[in-house]
Amino acid sequence: MAEKVKDKTFRIHLMVCAGTGCVSNHSFEIKEALEKEVKKHGMEDEVLVVSTGCNGFCERGPLLVVQPGNIFYQQLTVKDIPHLVEEHFLKGRPVSRLMYTPPREKRPIPVLNDIDFFKKQVLIALRNRGLIDPEKIEESIARDGYKAMAKALTEMTPAQIIKEVTLSGLRGRGGAGFPTGLKWEMVRGAKSTNGGGKFVICNGDEGDPGAFMDRSILEADPHAVIEGMVIGAKAVGGTEGVLYVRNEYPLAVKRLMVALDQARRLGLLGENILGSGFSFDIKVHRGAGAFVCGEETALIASIEGRLGEPRPRPPYPAQSGLHGQPTLINNVETWANVPVIVDRGAKWYSSIGTETSKGTKVFSVVGKINNTGLVEVPMGITLREIIYGIGGGIPGGKQFKAVQTGGPSGGCIPKEMIDLPIDYESLTKAGSMMGSGGMVIMDEDTCMVDIARYFLSFTQEESCGKCTPCREGTKIMLDILTRITEGRGTAQDLTLLEDMANAVKDSALCGLGKTAPNPVLTTLRYFRDEYETHIRDKKCPAHVCRQLNTYTIDPQACLEAGRGCDVCRRNCSSEAIRGEKNTVHSITQEKCIKCGVCFDVCQFHAVKVK
Amino acid sequence: MITLTIDGKKIEVEEGATILQAAKKLDIKIPTLCYHPVVEPYAACRVCMVESSHRGRTELVTACNTKVAEGMDIQTSSQRALNARKMNVEMLLARAPAAEPVRDIARSLGITHSRFPVKDPEEKCILCGLCIRTCGEIVGAYAISFTERGTERQVSTPFGEPSEACIGCTACAYFCPTGAIVAEDLRGRKVIHDELLLGPTTAIRVPTRQAVPMVPYIDQEACIHFKTGECRICAKVCDREAVKYDMQDEVVDLEVGSIILASGFKSFDARRIPAYGYGRYPNIITALEFEHLVNASGPTGGKIKLADGGEPKAVGIVHCVGSRDENYNEYCSRVCCMYSLKFAHLIKEKTKAAIYDFYIDMRCFGKGYEEFYHRLLEEGAKFIRGRVSEITDFAASKEEEGRLIIRVEDTLLGIVRRIPVDMAILATGLEPSLDHKQIAKTFNISCSQDSFFLERHPKLAPMSTFSDGIFLAGTCQAPRDIPDTVAQAGGAAAEALALADKGTFALEPITAEIDKDLCAGCQMCVGLCPFTAITYDKEKGISVVNDALCKGCGTCAAACPSGAAQQKHFRDQQIFAEIEGILLV
Amino acid sequence: MPKLTLEELAKIREQARKTTMLREGGEYRAKVTVHMGTCGIAAGARGVMNALLEEMDKRDVRDVLVANSGCAGLCSREPMATVELTGQAPVKYVDLNTDKMRKIFEQHVLGGKIVQEYALGIGSEKTDFTKE
Repeated sequence: MAEKVKDKTFRIHLMVCAGTGCVSNHSFEIKEALEKEVKKHGMEDEVLVVSTGCNGFCERGPLLVVQPGNIFYQQLTVKDIPHLVEEHFLKGRPVSRLMYTPPREKRPIPVLNDIDFFKKQVLIALRNRGLIDPEKIEESIARDGYKAMAKALTEMTPAQIIKEVTLSGLRGRGGAGFPTGLKWEMVRGAKSTNGGGKFVICNGDEGDPGAFMDRSILEADPHAVIEGMVIGAKAVGGTEGVLYVRNEYPLAVKRLMVALDQARRLGLLGENILGSGFSFDIKVHRGAGAFVCGEETALIASIEGRLGEPRPRPPYPAQSGLHGQPTLINNVETWANVPVIVDRGAKWYSSIGTETSKGTKVFSVVGKINNTGLVEVPMGITLREIIYGIGGGIPGGKQFKAVQTGGPSGGCIPKEMIDLPIDYESLTKAGSMMGSGGMVIMDEDTCMVDIARYFLSFTQEESCGKCTPCREGTKIMLDILTRITEGRGTAQDLTLLEDMANAVKDSALCGLGKTAPNPVLTTLRYFRDEYETHIRDKKCPAHVCRQLNTYTIDPQACLEAGRGCDVCRRNCSSEAIRGEKNTVHSITQEKCIKCGVCFDVCQFHAVKVK
Repeated sequence: MITLTIDGKKIEVEEGATILQAAKKLDIKIPTLCYHPVVEPYAACRVCMVESSHRGRTELVTACNTKVAEGMDIQTSSQRALNARKMNVEMLLARAPAAEPVRDIARSLGITHSRFPVKDPEEKCILCGLCIRTCGEIVGAYAISFTERGTERQVSTPFGEPSEACIGCTACAYFCPTGAIVAEDLRGRKVIHDELLLGPTTAIRVPTRQAVPMVPYIDQEACIHFKTGECRICAKVCDREAVKYDMQDEVVDLEVGSIILASGFKSFDARRIPAYGYGRYPNIITALEFEHLVNASGPTGGKIKLADGGEPKAVGIVHCVGSRDENYNEYCSRVCCMYSLKFAHLIKEKTKAAIYDFYIDMRCFGKGYEEFYHRLLEEGAKFIRGRVSEITDFAASKEEEGRLIIRVEDTLLGIVRRIPVDMAILATGLEPSLDHKQIAKTFNISCSQDSFFLERHPKLAPMSTFSDGIFLAGTCQAPRDIPDTVAQAGGAAAEALALADKGTFALEPITAEIDKDLCAGCQMCVGLCPFTAITYDKEKGISVVNDALCKGCGTCAAACPSGAAQQKHFRDQQIFAEIEGILLV
Repeated sequence: MPKLTLEELAKIREQARKTTMLREGGEYRAKVTVHMGTCGIAAGARGVMNALLEEMDKRDVRDVLVANSGCAGLCSREPMATVELTGQAPVKYVDLNTDKMRKIFEQHVLGGKIVQEYALGIGSEKTDFTKE
């Protein structure tokens, strides 16, 4: 029997414990009952019942583990079986009554996939996260690593691979969302000159503040990226691979090095891979930390040892890239998706997502949110599902205000648009972008002018300075924003800011400059009133811009709750607070430099900010 | 060919051309800053933004690097393009307010001032990168690059140190559109009054002004291509494909009957008299440099200008620089007085400047020369007799501040005078050309004490030398002016023609001969012969006399140890017979 | 000759599956995975890992497989560890420190009782996507 079923694929494996303890608890009867019920529902081709060795938890026998899902049933009786089979294996609803309930605990520990954070996630690029030891290639192989590469190298022609990728609808996960298959086709069609070969590059220069998708993939599953690159190389005729990782990711670099070594040792990289006659190897290039080097032409310049600044396109890297040869350059996440597409087929992949944006996208969800972390969700999921479902809402019961997507160059999407489905088109329409997948959640305590200033200060700092609008424009806009947050804004500033933002967006050389005004433009579009309050009333509604705040002390709270504790006076650096212990304190406004220290130190909420 | 529309006008251009090139064909001007036709477009200044509609997509693109495409519709001055262009120019104006090209473009766009804060009102650099691209793409030296990011960006050598990769070609300064790069010498001094540099300013040039034939050549010492293997900019711009880098200098052997030497002179190097300040002060120039300056085809179009572009109020002309001076050359250079008078006349004619001539004696010896001197006196040029001791910028009074002061002992008045001027012209003398010794050796001619070539006889044979068939013309023999040179050259040519016309050459009747039976082949005579008339015949192992060269001086006959060399008609036998005859009488 | 053939790759896969999935029992009674991505390490995963190894040393436990792995996604709750007793569903623990790890080792890994107060959930994430 065992021989016969081996070559069949079953949907569900039922592992009935056949250790001594469970057998004495009638586990064989349970097994028979299971087989009977399964047959009754005609699922004998889908569900396999096997006996396993002792699970160790004999106290709770007889035991049943359901794979996949690792669902653990205990203390089963034959009576439970029909219900269990019908509910769980037929209808797909695990029976929590039969699961393990630890003592003193009424509610069972939930199955991981019942937890909101995990429930709505779909792991493709992150398929091996937390499951394998990234420094052991065998563990990757155990979870079907290099299976797709073997298929691509031995069974598929380049044209077939590209067709599969094209049909899958995969688009560049680095930000711009260029159709991956189309890019591959371009590189495949381009001719290398002087026998220089073609290059395959993985862009791992992840520089957005608060984004760590690429780092996480490289750290958790470097083989997925390597495998993707080999498949890409085979598809376009690539001869040499370069993995560009920023040096600020030491762990990712180390794990990549180990992974490359192991792949080479097993012959999964190098000459004549798997006897297919195809040879390919990858080297690691460490970036020196310039944000602009995430732009593909700047990245290529950086690999060549030149100044890391972008150049005008066309020619695109696909035509003339590294060392002037056709170059296929994709982002880490894109590469990590490739093996799954080849393995499971374009049809399966394209069943996920929306009409124009297929598959999943990894986001790093950070900011004012309960569950910060890395999430992989199907395209088309709404912001609400991410923020309130996966993210677990806003901490401290505060109000959600806006979300900033796409890194420092993205835009702010207000709470009114929380039901916006996430795909390339709708984000762009909202004035933001997919970007590489940063998602910063902001609550009511966030000042949108300050946020725009913050993101612009990042892009201004990281502008390479090559083109005028990005170099000069971002600096001037930053100065204007700083002026507004310090209460020195004028009525003309908003028009000037808007004009400049549009001019910079229109005329900058590369993506960095073209998108740098996005935070300004979107906050102006959705939160113009906040700007106006800053300029007209010299007030910051969120009390973030301290220069616009007025600090006062509520005498009642000071005396009654704090008994004039005097902490504020001792901490005031400008001697603006009068009073002594056990008396009411007050602030001399003329002396106050609005540093906010009194507000921070007062434990009795007696210091008020307006 | 590709057809596109620019500002509503249709044009057909070759595939691969840029929008900028296409617009140029239509005489549509698109302003540019970081563009230069000989280097790759950089698309950094974003001043050449135009609105492009193509395949249903309308966007702003840079004209300098965007290739034309079939059916493209370009608007060079649409509102959107103008907005972006104006904004970028206004931003550049705030960054580099002193950059002339930016101000020009701003003016043409109606921008009078920038709304943005100016950091440095003197700033000229617009970060266009032309210098860097020139240094890399054209020169191939890669000595400079951008450092820092964003607004901190600047052009620099590695770590701001003097770069070893720099070959000092100053191409970066030449390409800089705003004059932000200034070439300095090692002591940090600006290269001064640089339009007066008479030395090589470019590596490709004609040998001299008004050279015949007017054919330029490449000076391999100065040419960047021969240093770095890059550049080739001359070949790129020459549409006749006339530039060849593999052409070599070649040695041509010509068989001639006679030779006229006219190797010229070199001007006295005024740096040798440090007290005159040449090379230290920009407005002290030599006579040749003034000639260059005042020439109508010169750098200023004949205008007499100071290094800062202003007009001099007073000019001093110092005579006898390097001549009539026992420290340098004792002889009179003959031409300086007259050309100094000419300069004075030209300055009078072109400016209102006061003119001071500092002379030892006025030597106006030729036809009409003295009259010219009188004319100058009448024109109001001031002549001060006395040798100039020093030219300095050290001011002793308020009036002298910022000027050059010429110190001189006025020997007619018997006092030391300080004359403040704005420009001093040094009337440098004439010296034998640098390679005159090598020439003398090659042609086996002699030099007189002053190193000029020695003529056979100052009165009877002023253009002949001691070597037959070799004649002299011009200043290689002695300082002389143009009329004298022309006259002497005519004479030398006539002598040479006379030889050629006759077709025959009368040999000296009295020459030496070597008895081949007696000659031991010691070659003593070969070295001694002043006319190189004796050569050694290796095969026969004897010395042989060339009758055409031998002047019958008898040196060989006197020196020959074996008595093989004898002078015709004056053989030992004949001499002895003569002596005997005398004694018998 | 290639270093590795298709068959050999398949063989490695089968073998590795046996050891990593802990299905067959055998050598190990449990597998503890400490999630050591940058986020985990920054939150103190290294200390947690050391505490675990120390405990094992102290008690001379040799049949527990210790592994490290990448970020498990919920960065705000790092350091995290997954304990998987042979044949049972893995349990994810969050917000760990060295003391908590020691307790988990004693009670769960050795004693078989899930430490309720630190646990986040049971099972693994779904990594296959099928339309429901």
